[in-house]
Amino acid sequence: MTFRASWLGEFLKHSVLLAGAVVVLLPFYLMLSYSLKSPAEIESNTGGFVGAQEMMTDRRCLKAGNPPEDCEMRPIVYNYTAAFSEAPLLRYMLNGVFVTVSIFVIQVIIALPCAYALSKLRFWGRNVVFGLVIFCLLIPVHAIALPLYIMLAKVGLTNTYAALIVPWSISVFGIFLMRQFFMTVPDDLIDAARIDGMSEFSIVWRVMLPTAIPALLAFGIFSVVAHWNDYYWPRVVITGNRDLMTPPLGLRMFKSDLDGNEYGPMMAASTVIVMPLVIVFLLAQRRFIEGITMTGMK
Amino acid sequence: MGRNRAHIWFVGPAVLLMIVLLILPVFVAAALSFTDYSLGNSSFDWVGTKNYDALFSRSSYAKMFSASLTYVLLVVPISVALGLGSALLISSLRIGGELYKAVFFLPVMATLLAMAIVWEFALHPIVGIVNDVLSAGCDIGWLHALLSGSWLGRDPLSSWYGDGCADSFPLWLGDKDYALGTIAFIGIWQGFGFNMVLYLAGLTSVPRELYQAAQMDGADSAWERFKLVTWPMLGPTNVFVITISSIRSFQVFDTVEALTRGGPSKSTYVMIYAMFEKGVKQNLLGIGSAITIIFLGFVLILTLIQVYFVNRKVHYG
Repeated sequence: MTFRASWLGEFLKHSVLLAGAVVVLLPFYLMLSYSLKSPAEIESNTGGFVGAQEMMTDRRCLKAGNPPEDCEMRPIVYNYTAAFSEAPLLRYMLNGVFVTVSIFVIQVIIALPCAYALSKLRFWGRNVVFGLVIFCLLIPVHAIALPLYIMLAKVGLTNTYAALIVPWSISVFGIFLMRQFFMTVPDDLIDAARIDGMSEFSIVWRVMLPTAIPALLAFGIFSVVAHWNDYYWPRVVITGNRDLMTPPLGLRMFKSDLDGNEYGPMMAASTVIVMPLVIVFLLAQRRFIEGITMTGMK
Repeated sequence: MGRNRAHIWFVGPAVLLMIVLLILPVFVAAALSFTDYSLGNSSFDWVGTKNYDALFSRSSYAKMFSASLTYVLLVVPISVALGLGSALLISSLRIGGELYKAVFFLPVMATLLAMAIVWEFALHPIVGIVNDVLSAGCDIGWLHALLSGSWLGRDPLSSWYGDGCADSFPLWLGDKDYALGTIAFIGIWQGFGFNMVLYLAGLTSVPRELYQAAQMDGADSAWERFKLVTWPMLGPTNVFVITISSIRSFQVFDTVEALTRGGPSKSTYVMIYAMFEKGVKQNLLGIGSAITIIFLGFVLILTLIQVYFVNRKVHYG
């Protein structure tokens, strides 16, 4: 291939990829832009990215009986304050953090010892347990949501934090991933710990856990991304109780409450919900992509 | 804790949870699919295969199967092709590959429900930016001529674009002919970056020597080298990517629930949404469970196909 032809090729490749990037980024651009602009600018598609930021009047503030001069604000301020005041967005975010962190911690507490036993201990029935893990990998949790919901309803657990967390407490995939990882840890390490008089319990948490950090990180990324973004399961088990809603479910409620031209505040709320993961992703891109591909390879 | 008994404490909780939270629900669904159970009722009747008969005879369920299958058949091939195409392009770039990779992966990370709402607004028939841009193109002579085919001497009104300019562009999510395609578009937008990173991982495992060997054997063009080396070596990645995309797209729910609720006229009535509507919203747990079982059947078939191909150690040709 000649020099010129290869640069032409490079140029063509970049053109195709750039066109793709524009389509991929379009909704992110719109989301950010709408979260900054006034309703009029959003509806007429004017004002560029940030809008003119002219003073606007908050109708709700007027209705509440405040003097008009106190209800003047910039669209950006209006959108973001409305996002936090019209819906309990802060509450949703805290719920989201609580639920995703709890799920991950419980998954590790259950999966790590099991993975250790499956990879490093010899006991009767080990292959049966491993077979069970492999079999359970085939069951998509989305599909069994309905019977899980019925079981939770029967024990009176719908509309609780437990309903959001307990069904995810077992991650067969986490067990599988950790087991594969532990298989590569040399037995000598464990033997040395045993000679030092460590109990099996402290071997799991004080020897195996530190060696498993890379695998745990990958699994953590996978788990947190999945549960922060999950809409389906909260939608099934939380009905009406806003205090328990996670960010996507809260946003959905916000959307159905809307009276027409409240797109600005809704886009502000979307931005607040989407951005934490996007920012962490951009900062630790390589780890994220590795984590997700590694865990995708199930 | 005795050394010999330690394993019981280690695997016990996990085994118990697997049985209660994963295996038992499958049996519960299987059993309930033969009943007319609903929450709040103290008793229920066994109704035999009535729920399944309904699934296979009523037209609304025929629409459900067709919506799910059409969605999968739209999303899987396109998102796999886009994933492979972008991976090939990115891996052959001299500069900027990492940047595109990050951009294309962004939708995989972003909360789908939030992004679906943004797309809904972008696709809004009146204030949405998509139709705005499309109709702005109508006033630019050469663009209109190009897109409507009138530069070839065709009647502009006979083309999709020309007709849109003369009349109006589609309602997208509000039109039963476009809604499923629009939902599928959002699914492709969200998912192809995931396939891309899987293909990028697959591409790095293709040994460099093979390309040199192919070149020595006279494979001069990039296309020939792709056909001879890359494609056969990507066999296992292909099987994996296709299976995982199929299973994921069978589970589409967020976009449907937030944007169309299965409509208009059941054109986007996909299986998981139907299961949610029947089982959770209408408390018809028998029929919801029957949908669950059929859904599990589909996933099982897909997995078996994958296992079959993996065991054949797919390296085409």
